[in-house]
Amino acid sequence: MTAVLDIENIHKSYNQLEVLHGISLSANAGDVISLIGSSGSGKSTFLRCINLLEMPNQGSITVAGDQIKLETNRKGERVATDAKQVQRLRSKVGMVFQQFNLWSHLTILENVTEAPIRVQGLSKAEAKDIALNYLQKVGIADKADVYPTMLSGGQQQRVAIARALAMQPMAILFDEPTSALDPELVGEVLGVMRKLAEDGMTMIVVTHEMAFARDVCSKVIFLHKGKIEEAGHPSEVFTRPQSPRLQQFLANTNY
Amino acid sequence: MIVMLPEWLTPLLSEQTVKLLEYLTNGKHLAWYASFRYTVIAAVAGGLLAVVFGLLGASLKQSKWAPLRWIGNIYTTMVRGIPDVLFLLFFPLAFEQFVEWMWAYQSCTPEERAMATGWPLCDNAQWLLSSTEYLILACFSFGIVYGAFAANVIYGAMRAVPKGQLEAAHAFGFSSSQVFWHFQVRQMWVYALPGLSNVWLSLIKATSLLSLLQIVDIVQWAGRLGAPNYLPMAGLVHPDWRWKYYFVLFLLYILMTYLSERFFAYLQKRASRGMVRAS
Repeated sequence: MTAVLDIENIHKSYNQLEVLHGISLSANAGDVISLIGSSGSGKSTFLRCINLLEMPNQGSITVAGDQIKLETNRKGERVATDAKQVQRLRSKVGMVFQQFNLWSHLTILENVTEAPIRVQGLSKAEAKDIALNYLQKVGIADKADVYPTMLSGGQQQRVAIARALAMQPMAILFDEPTSALDPELVGEVLGVMRKLAEDGMTMIVVTHEMAFARDVCSKVIFLHKGKIEEAGHPSEVFTRPQSPRLQQFLANTNY
Repeated sequence: MIVMLPEWLTPLLSEQTVKLLEYLTNGKHLAWYASFRYTVIAAVAGGLLAVVFGLLGASLKQSKWAPLRWIGNIYTTMVRGIPDVLFLLFFPLAFEQFVEWMWAYQSCTPEERAMATGWPLCDNAQWLLSSTEYLILACFSFGIVYGAFAANVIYGAMRAVPKGQLEAAHAFGFSSSQVFWHFQVRQMWVYALPGLSNVWLSLIKATSLLSLLQIVDIVQWAGRLGAPNYLPMAGLVHPDWRWKYYFVLFLLYILMTYLSERFFAYLQKRASRGMVRAS
């Protein structure tokens, strides 16, 4: 079976500062993988390398057997050689951001239908059906015609999840999806994410929600200073952490 | 008198009023009113061209390629520094002579070109511009000059669009040109409109310069009509009334400003849909 995502040996540096020292990750259909670690460990940067929002300096990215063509240009910068291929990759891998990043000039419904219509070429009617279906799923269909700023953070993040789902992606990347939320709104978003995991969606989640990582994920990766310090099934990682850094990290984290 | 008053109205008015109305509706005055169209055309077409040049200039300024950025920066810094009066005098003339020069290679014989001492190089290569052509050139002059201001306003507005939303668009597989047109340009208006309304008002004021291009516009007419007016038959019709005519133009420009402000308020409201936090 081909892995949905096969990420090999990602290196990333900003000027002289290397923040990722060769990270690999492979996800099969239905895997829910969480990336944990303290701030500055490189987990968000790694996630953003997967869909090339950050360009890795080294390494390869393969989505469902399709390896992204990257090369080094004359100035020594890494660039994607095939813009269409990158767009195809991005339309297959959804993304949910910490700050939601809903498009503020579009209504909730339009936010969810915009990419299916313009990127995937669906008809407006098809896109609307799909969108309403997913808005229903995240429990926010009644707000379809209002603008994002009228919604609470938790509601906006649920819309952002529906927006990602409407592309019918092979996997969804979550970049600290609950970190910008008031504590009482975190639950509603995590609830939606749990449901997605149960439905078999392939998910890569950067999170500080240890309970979510422990209860929902099939694999937990602990990053420290741009390296994978420890990885494994949550039952292993959380109950018998091997590395002293992870032991310390877990001891300092309330969950 | 060209415009007929309704018959029931005439007895109600004093002789003097009727005379004034007759005076204000004579042929020259009607021509004055009609010349208002030049001002409106120059303002609206110039304004639209300014937005086009502004978008072009702004996208050059934020281009990935340095040479394009230079062109954008040279355009906005240089053209903004040129007085609009000068540019209005320079551009149509320069354009006209450039066209004549191009034509000379098509329509003059080599002998004619060699013999030519003055301009144009031969009679065939002479382009006599009509008012309409001058008006079109004036619209482009306004477009180029005020486009440089608009480019700076739009450039700033495009940078004010939240980065995260553009990033989200990239992350969903939109192409770079889609991100530019459907997200960045679509969202920048709300930040650009206050600045663009400034540019628009300056442009409206600059339309009073149309007479520099031998277009007989409202300002030119006001000067002619207001000048002391003798008729061999009637003697002195009126003394120097120019201030009165110019005053009418003041009022007209103030009215245009007021209407523009209303229009921009409406645009701002439309562009801000969804942009304002409800809380």
